[in-house]
Amino acid sequence: MSAYLLHLAVMAGIYILLALSLNLIVGYAGQVSLGHAAFYGIGAYASALTALNWHLPFPVAALAAMLVTGACGLGLGLPTLRLKEDYLAIVTLGFGVIVDLVFLNLAVTGGPDGLVGIPPPVLLGLSFRARGLYLLLVAGAVLLALGFTHRLVNSYHGRALRAIRDHETTAQVMGINTSAYKIVIFTLAAAMAGLAGSLYAHYITFINPESFGLHTSILLVCMVVLGGMGSLPGSVVGAVILTAVPELLRQTHALQDLIYGALLVGLLIWRPEGLLGRGKLSLKFLQRE
Amino acid sequence: MFWAQLINGLTTGSVYALIALGYTMIYGILGLINFAQGEIYMGGAFVAVLLLATGKVPFLLAFAAGMVTAALLGVALERVAFRPLRGSHPLVPLISAIGASIFLQSLALLLFGPNDRPFPVQFSFQAITVAGVPLSSLQGAILGAALGLMALLFAFVRYTRYGKAIVACALDRDTARLMGINVDRMVSLTFFIGSALSGAAGIMMAIYYNATYPRMGLLPGLKAFAAAILGGVGNIPGAILGGLVLGVAESLGAAYISSGFKDAIAFAILILVLLLRPQGLLGGRGH
Amino acid sequence: MLTLKSVQAGYGRLPVLKGVSLHVREGEVVTLIGGNGAGKTTTLRTISGLLPVRKGEVQFDGQALHRLPPERIVALGLALVPEGRRVFATLSVTANLELGAFHRPDKRQVRRDLEGLRERFPLLRERGHQPAGTLSGGEQQILAICRALMAQPRLLMLDEPSMGLAPRVAAQVYGILRELKAGGTTLLLVEQNARAALKLADRGYVLETGRVILDGSASDLREDPEVQRAYLGKGYQEVWE
Repeated sequence: MSAYLLHLAVMAGIYILLALSLNLIVGYAGQVSLGHAAFYGIGAYASALTALNWHLPFPVAALAAMLVTGACGLGLGLPTLRLKEDYLAIVTLGFGVIVDLVFLNLAVTGGPDGLVGIPPPVLLGLSFRARGLYLLLVAGAVLLALGFTHRLVNSYHGRALRAIRDHETTAQVMGINTSAYKIVIFTLAAAMAGLAGSLYAHYITFINPESFGLHTSILLVCMVVLGGMGSLPGSVVGAVILTAVPELLRQTHALQDLIYGALLVGLLIWRPEGLLGRGKLSLKFLQRE
Repeated sequence: MFWAQLINGLTTGSVYALIALGYTMIYGILGLINFAQGEIYMGGAFVAVLLLATGKVPFLLAFAAGMVTAALLGVALERVAFRPLRGSHPLVPLISAIGASIFLQSLALLLFGPNDRPFPVQFSFQAITVAGVPLSSLQGAILGAALGLMALLFAFVRYTRYGKAIVACALDRDTARLMGINVDRMVSLTFFIGSALSGAAGIMMAIYYNATYPRMGLLPGLKAFAAAILGGVGNIPGAILGGLVLGVAESLGAAYISSGFKDAIAFAILILVLLLRPQGLLGGRGH
Repeated sequence: MLTLKSVQAGYGRLPVLKGVSLHVREGEVVTLIGGNGAGKTTTLRTISGLLPVRKGEVQFDGQALHRLPPERIVALGLALVPEGRRVFATLSVTANLELGAFHRPDKRQVRRDLEGLRERFPLLRERGHQPAGTLSGGEQQILAICRALMAQPRLLMLDEPSMGLAPRVAAQVYGILRELKAGGTTLLLVEQNARAALKLADRGYVLETGRVILDGSASDLREDPEVQRAYLGKGYQEVWE
């Protein structure tokens, strides 16, 4: 039982990283991303391939993952700069689906079977195969990420981001380089998701495209929305709840997804701004029509 | 070979178009992506299939029943999962739609089991030739029915009072209310019509692929949405054009480029369109 | 006919109307003038039901309006020509007009009214099939007014009908309003262009930051030095009358 709880904790930690990164895009920069799991997957595969093919140690692999995903985030962020919210949603959705299909069909990623035998991290001579140790690793990463995002959000840059989120034209008029901000956030968020992917790959030691598909992207959005967009603790809460709930529901077997779906709708109707979210973005309300 | 693929593409494309119409109308009037549209498609198919399996219901009646059930399902969906969320951040109804989609899929899984069901009615389809082009009478029937429904919708929107009212609501909700139009009712009507079309699409695909199963709405739903965007979201002729283009591109692409990436074609096209011409082929309207 | 008693309304947490009282009698032309942000548009939107009334009452012919949705208020005989005209751009001119009469059950009379308007304004017939968005500003304003008239209103409200129009075109629009007045239609007119509004109206109210600060007959208001200084620009050239 304890091993199981540890496992859940590790997964929750990884999802917290992912939710945080997505919240940067959605809750702070005010963009939409329905394909975030693609970065998660790219990070996982990049890290795994680095470790498997070139036998490089975990820190290098993780770094490689972050660089690669960051570059992809840049690559996705640039051409989509001028897209409106809804179109951005579709493009990111399509991006996610295409990346998923790439994983499925390329030989180097192992096709539908994926990659196996990914080595657990070895740091300072210590092998992090054990769950308890890995939890420490993940917790460390989460704390770093939380610290980073907290600093970011409460800085001038954080306010600039919120200005972009609430009323982009006004922000532009005030001299905020909205394009630069959006791209940087996309890149950072992607890199963070890539780190999460790397952590996942070296934990489970095998990966396949199933974990990085559309439903994972949707799950991440659910975590962010449920927890409260633009709320860092909200992302933590959302991630923990949506990691724990499916596990708890496993008891109900066949009714599992049924309750899950109903719960999702119900929670949103009860609290549309998310469990820890602030109230409606007040500026939007002022816009008539 | 080319013609066969083209006809196949037009057939699946016209079905995508029917679903896309549902998406585009809902998006036009509410500004939201109804991720559960695929489940409505699936619901229509199941109702028809189950009725026909009893052997006591004539085909056309079952078809109509499937459409009506899908329509009512759509109206109920709007009431429960979307109306309470009016005025919140656009991502919120999106997640609600996803929740509803999960709920409906698992409901269907529970009730009907995961296996493919063949279509209970056997038709004998022959190869026919229309204007020198070879196709099966099944394809002809689907194309004909789909085009017929689309024509009906087009006429409805262009020439009837309620059709124009729906467009008005999509264009300018407040001013529509000033005309005495009850927007809530128009929204329900939109869901009714869009869902009926999706239900019809579901039944047609159930026949075409001879398979009905709870997850059947997933991919067609996504592709149809891509088609709606391709044509110009909120634009009714656009949805039709988008569906047809997508179906053909997919079919030809699968035949001549690669079949593994068939599903990616829809999204690749989508992304290209959005990056190069976000308003779609015919230009969007409404939200 | 129409009475507002200490009406408070606003957007979200922003109060805009802080206690507005006014009335309009049958057959009158009443104008609401004031600067930007005074709450003129908000007043009309609140009367027509697009904005909820926070406090106070709105009554039309003795019937309380403040709980009714806009759809029902139109049916009672109150029509609004919104700010910025707001024609349905991709729908045809004729479709716009037909929609104006959406709530009316008597189709034959609607057709007759449509014909009548077309007689009076040939442009409606000439451009009948064109999308309304292709019309010029002035034409759209005429369309918007006719669309509201199709509702057979007993009280017609107009929100800044001259806004964004060239002086000659605005004069044309005011000509139409004068015809309506002569025909006995009750009008409630919101305008930034106080000069033109006060020329047309019988009575007026001056709104400032959500309250009525002055009211009286139009001629009295025109003479009032405060009004002259703030809204009529003493020494302003009569460019168009």
